[in-house]
Amino acid sequence: MNVALRRGDSGTGLSLLLVAGVIVGAAYALSSLGETASLPVNLLPFLLVFFGLMGIAYLAMRRFAPGGEPTLVPIVALLNGLGYVVIARLNRDLAANQATWTAVGVLAFVGTLVVVRRAADLERYRYLLMLSGILLLLAPIAPGIGVTKNGARLWLQMGPFSFQPGELAKICLAIFFASYLTERAPLLTPGALPGSALAARARALGPLAGAWALSLIVMVMEKDLGSSALFFALFVAMLWVATGGYLWPLVGGVMFSIGSFFAWMAFGHVQERVRIWINPWTRASSDGFQLVQAAFAFAAGGVVGTGLARGTPQRIPAVATDLVFAAIGEELGLVGAAAVIAAFALIVVIGMRIAQRAERPFEQLLAVGLTTIVGVQSCLIIGGVTRLLPLTGITLPFVSYGGSSVIANWVLVALLLRISAGDKPA
Amino acid sequence: MNDRIQRLGLILGVAFCLLLAALTRLQVVDASKLQNDPRNTRGLTESFSSDRGSIQTIDGTLIANSDVSNDEFKRQRHYPEGAVFAPVTGYLSFTYGADGAERAFNDVLTGGALPKGDDSLRQLFQKSRHTRDVTLTVNAAVQRIAASALGDRRGAVVALDPTTGGIIAMVSSPTYDPNPLSAHSQDAVRTAWDGLQNDKSHPLLPRAYRESYPPGSTFKVVTASAAFDHGADLTSKVYPTLKELPLPHSGGRSLHNFGGERCGGTIADLLRVSCNTGMASVGLDVGGDNMSAEAQAFGFDNKPPIDLPAAAASHFPTAPDFKRLLEPGIAFSSIGQQDVSATPLQMALVASAIANGGIIMTPHLMDHTSSEKGSILSRYKPSEWRTATSGATAAAVKQMMIDVARRGTATRAQIPGITVAAKTGTAQTGTANTSHAWLIAFAPAEAPKVAIAVIVESQQGTGDAATGGRVAAPIAQQVMKAALGA
Repeated sequence: MNVALRRGDSGTGLSLLLVAGVIVGAAYALSSLGETASLPVNLLPFLLVFFGLMGIAYLAMRRFAPGGEPTLVPIVALLNGLGYVVIARLNRDLAANQATWTAVGVLAFVGTLVVVRRAADLERYRYLLMLSGILLLLAPIAPGIGVTKNGARLWLQMGPFSFQPGELAKICLAIFFASYLTERAPLLTPGALPGSALAARARALGPLAGAWALSLIVMVMEKDLGSSALFFALFVAMLWVATGGYLWPLVGGVMFSIGSFFAWMAFGHVQERVRIWINPWTRASSDGFQLVQAAFAFAAGGVVGTGLARGTPQRIPAVATDLVFAAIGEELGLVGAAAVIAAFALIVVIGMRIAQRAERPFEQLLAVGLTTIVGVQSCLIIGGVTRLLPLTGITLPFVSYGGSSVIANWVLVALLLRISAGDKPA
Repeated sequence: MNDRIQRLGLILGVAFCLLLAALTRLQVVDASKLQNDPRNTRGLTESFSSDRGSIQTIDGTLIANSDVSNDEFKRQRHYPEGAVFAPVTGYLSFTYGADGAERAFNDVLTGGALPKGDDSLRQLFQKSRHTRDVTLTVNAAVQRIAASALGDRRGAVVALDPTTGGIIAMVSSPTYDPNPLSAHSQDAVRTAWDGLQNDKSHPLLPRAYRESYPPGSTFKVVTASAAFDHGADLTSKVYPTLKELPLPHSGGRSLHNFGGERCGGTIADLLRVSCNTGMASVGLDVGGDNMSAEAQAFGFDNKPPIDLPAAAASHFPTAPDFKRLLEPGIAFSSIGQQDVSATPLQMALVASAIANGGIIMTPHLMDHTSSEKGSILSRYKPSEWRTATSGATAAAVKQMMIDVARRGTATRAQIPGITVAAKTGTAQTGTANTSHAWLIAFAPAEAPKVAIAVIVESQQGTGDAATGGRVAAPIAQQVMKAALGA
């Protein structure tokens, strides 16, 4: 398997990266043409930096994870590059930051490949990672360092830097779940231990209840519905893949529904989210403004879009971060937005294939977890922006503005690549 | 486990398909509904918030400009001179559209009409179009003097350069402040708009070019011209001195002179004292067909091609109309009553025709457009609108109008050291005991630089105090004096 991959690899990855570069470069040029009717003066430096960064990522993959899945980096490069172009068109200052974050993200990607030589090594640190994950997830609650932005308390402020620890927490917890579930799967699998089913179920309820409680704490204390949903979906998906049967997803779903219902009963911010999801139109100039403006943006874009820098997505609050998909829908149209969805679908397909081909259950489960994070997170935010789901404040991986998100997702991709490359030391 | 991984991938795949469906609903199925939603102000806001050039007068007074504002519209339109220039600038409102120069020059101000010669690539991607500044022929100093001379009386003043058609001043009273209509709070705009709409004095109406009045005796200038153009034998005819003129086909009705006076003589005599019986007789001698032709030559029944929106046409009965109106119609029309109506702009153009050797130049506000950097992009080229009468007739009528100002009804229009030509009018309004006070004039008579029409509406009484010579002439005198820098 790996031999076959390696043979096809040398050409595929590089040429795909080139295609991504051409698309991003063209988008960058078009954006400038749309804004000032002239080609960007820094088109060449931009392309050099883009290819430089993505080239580093590619070479690091070839060097430290030979035989790794070659298509992943080009797809991520495309999303990251396109996100940068849209952010640059919305706000020059944010774009400069995003470029820095992307560079740091690529470094983190290389660093992860260098440090994590074998995915199985991660198992050793599972309790440390669990603790880190929980601490990172709950850190914003701590007074002094936690900061509330846009109604959600999911930021850490350290000097001039603010950081969204939840982005890294999801990776730590995915590793922990993978390790924990690999070990406990035989116990948790329904019907695996006849005669002691009750005991098995009682034991199983432990971690499930823990994950449930954690997600509710995030929802209630941090008012971060998106992370709460993502985190719980991640756990249930991994539990189901590890054990099989529909009992756990069912129990998990019911528990989450009950928790959500009580949260909805008890907390104004949850009620508000649901209300504007069901009908933002009656509150078009107050709470519903963001969603209504996003809908108008999509409508303005139509099938082919207004063209980069030719629309007015600046009207949408938080358009560079959570609502970036609405800007893409407006300026690149249904065609461009569908392409972005297709890119995420491809990542999911590739990630699941990596999971299926991984050599050990831990690596399989980890790949499932990491892929689920990207898939569920993109569905949650795109669904929120298009009003398929209640809008929650999470980022669109690789595309949205935000350092924590970009860095964490590059680390996530590095881990997926490590799993796909197998254990052979470089 | 691989089985379940595949199924999880499939579940996420279904989720992505749902996203595509939701996206298609927004961008295709519901797109036009969303775009036409009344709450969707994207298009409006974009045009309202895009950069817009300034408007200034020929002497450099800024009368409309855009400042940066920190709300969703990004720019706030300002009218630094407010109400005095509103009849010229008009307004620009998010809710109620635009009027005046703001509407007439919208494409120029926004840069909407691209200059030719731009390469196509540039046009394709041009979004921040190059706005252009507009400089009007209006002279701010003269405009202010005209506004203060008219004061709070209802009426209008139009002053223009007869040799180019360039508007020097255009005042309408009562007027309005356009600033509240450009406010960004839609509630405030609505309140201001409703207030102006419900005001019985119609402050939003630019009377100078959109309201018609009976022109009264100022129309006798056209009748006199008609006599020269259509009946050479009339120019030396002495009309009998009468108190009233009996009219055939009127059931015993007759036409009276102002204040019950008796008057007669040559056309010059008739014009000097504004003799109704005499000028009506001239009109009857000229005939209805010829009177219609002359009025149309002077611009009646034509919308003046001024670069302002919705200018009103003035009216004089047509030849077929006179088949119905018969002699009484011709007689009353010849003295600017009954079926005749004229805008102040039209009457200024009548004066300008006599001043400019019979040629009416196209009236206009535009002097030139310039780029943001100040370089002139295009300059208005004066053009002839129509030939009202011959040079000889214009010269003859000019002499009569000089006489009117020197020793006739318009002595109050005199300017020391400058020869003024003028004609007064005191038009019956149809409402008992009120009349409109008119004056049309130009100066200096030898080489006219300004032609003017002044109307002060609905003067109480029909005595001497309400006449054009008393009420309108001093206003015209002040404005012409200012325009000539005398």
